[in-house]
Amino acid sequence: MKPLYINGLSCISPQPTFGAEFPFEAKRYDSNRLSCIEPDYAPYIDPKASRRMGRLLKYGTTVGLQALRDAGVGSPDAISTGTGFGLLDDSGKFLKNVTEAEEGVVSPTAFIQSTHNTVSSNIALTVGCKGHNNTFVNKGFSFESALLDAQMLAEENAAMKNILVGAYDETTDYSYTIMKRLRLIREQEIANLDLLQTPGSGTIAGEGAAFFLLSTEKVDTYAILHGSEILYKPTSTDKVKFKLEAFLSRNKLVLSDIDIVISGLCGDAKRDEMLGNLNDNYFTAQTILGYKHLCGEYMTSSAFALWLGSMIAKTGSIPAETIIRDSHRLTSNILIYNVYKNDHAFVLLSK
Amino acid sequence: MKTLKVQIVEQLNLQQIKPEDIGDDQPLFVEGLALDSIDALELIVLLQQKYGIKLANPADGPQIFKTVRNIAQYITDNRPK
Repeated sequence: MKPLYINGLSCISPQPTFGAEFPFEAKRYDSNRLSCIEPDYAPYIDPKASRRMGRLLKYGTTVGLQALRDAGVGSPDAISTGTGFGLLDDSGKFLKNVTEAEEGVVSPTAFIQSTHNTVSSNIALTVGCKGHNNTFVNKGFSFESALLDAQMLAEENAAMKNILVGAYDETTDYSYTIMKRLRLIREQEIANLDLLQTPGSGTIAGEGAAFFLLSTEKVDTYAILHGSEILYKPTSTDKVKFKLEAFLSRNKLVLSDIDIVISGLCGDAKRDEMLGNLNDNYFTAQTILGYKHLCGEYMTSSAFALWLGSMIAKTGSIPAETIIRDSHRLTSNILIYNVYKNDHAFVLLSK
Repeated sequence: MKTLKVQIVEQLNLQQIKPEDIGDDQPLFVEGLALDSIDALELIVLLQQKYGIKLANPADGPQIFKTVRNIAQYITDNRPK
């Protein structure tokens, strides 16, 4: 498939990623739950409308609109997004209201906002985009599904020049409690910046939103997005290598061409086993970066990784706190390798 | 009416408005507070949850929800004894 140009982007995360300098100074949290640093929404959302919006709807919409502004595009030809849980807080509020009202009449606002596609719909309404609008809810593949959707749209329809792609998720009090009960989160509190140096059982919870204006035309581009590949539950590192080499080959590259691997290590020793093995024995010549200690673990964290990779490609600078192993390579070809439980995904971008 | 104004501000999450800023006869929709159709639904929920009143005829809505005074009068007239 044809590569697409990342001509605009934006990210709200637990780190100072929105409108700040790059490379940013990583923020330290002494908690197993990282929450987004929220900006003033007034320049993006009418205060009259924002009174009804939940946190995720506000930061998801803001990031989508900022990515468009960053690219100088008023309204895209299509919008494609991915989310693991959608507007979880509003879904919880709605269900709580139903229970408290004994299935009687309940407030409509939480119900209206509890659907997974509320963010992409809100962006479309704000900028008057009447084109293709899809939201993918495919666990750890949600964001990669949106990327694939965008590439296919551009491939099949020459009129599709600007496609807004993004991902968003939130952690709520309720979801955090459930994740702790399921032992997906570390039992003892750990500082996020120490997470990847001290593997243990469980990870830290995170959240965030990142959007990208993908274009068929190169205009003040951050990075070139070549493509993505998903791989469900690979049983061995050999299968991963086989899939990855075929993926690189389709993009006319070999492993030695890759300069940087942005690795989805999450600090859980068991879940990181295969990635750690590949980092030590396969990606031996590459610079290895981590990111989940900065944004926390959530189903669409690979969108944060794509934001990070794009900023590195554009500026040539790497935030010090992301470096796991520095092989002093260029910042030309960047491979994002994310793992969320059994969902493995590659995203390839270049300068 | 003071309590009703507090309840309206709370139910509609009118962040920039204090209950005492809402006039008794100030229009709530279009002009005045410029509320919209979702707010109308929220007001119907408020009447049912706080006062046990079900709006019998939705067509009466625009008149009932025109001002705080009208809503208060509707509550007085229809509150279950």
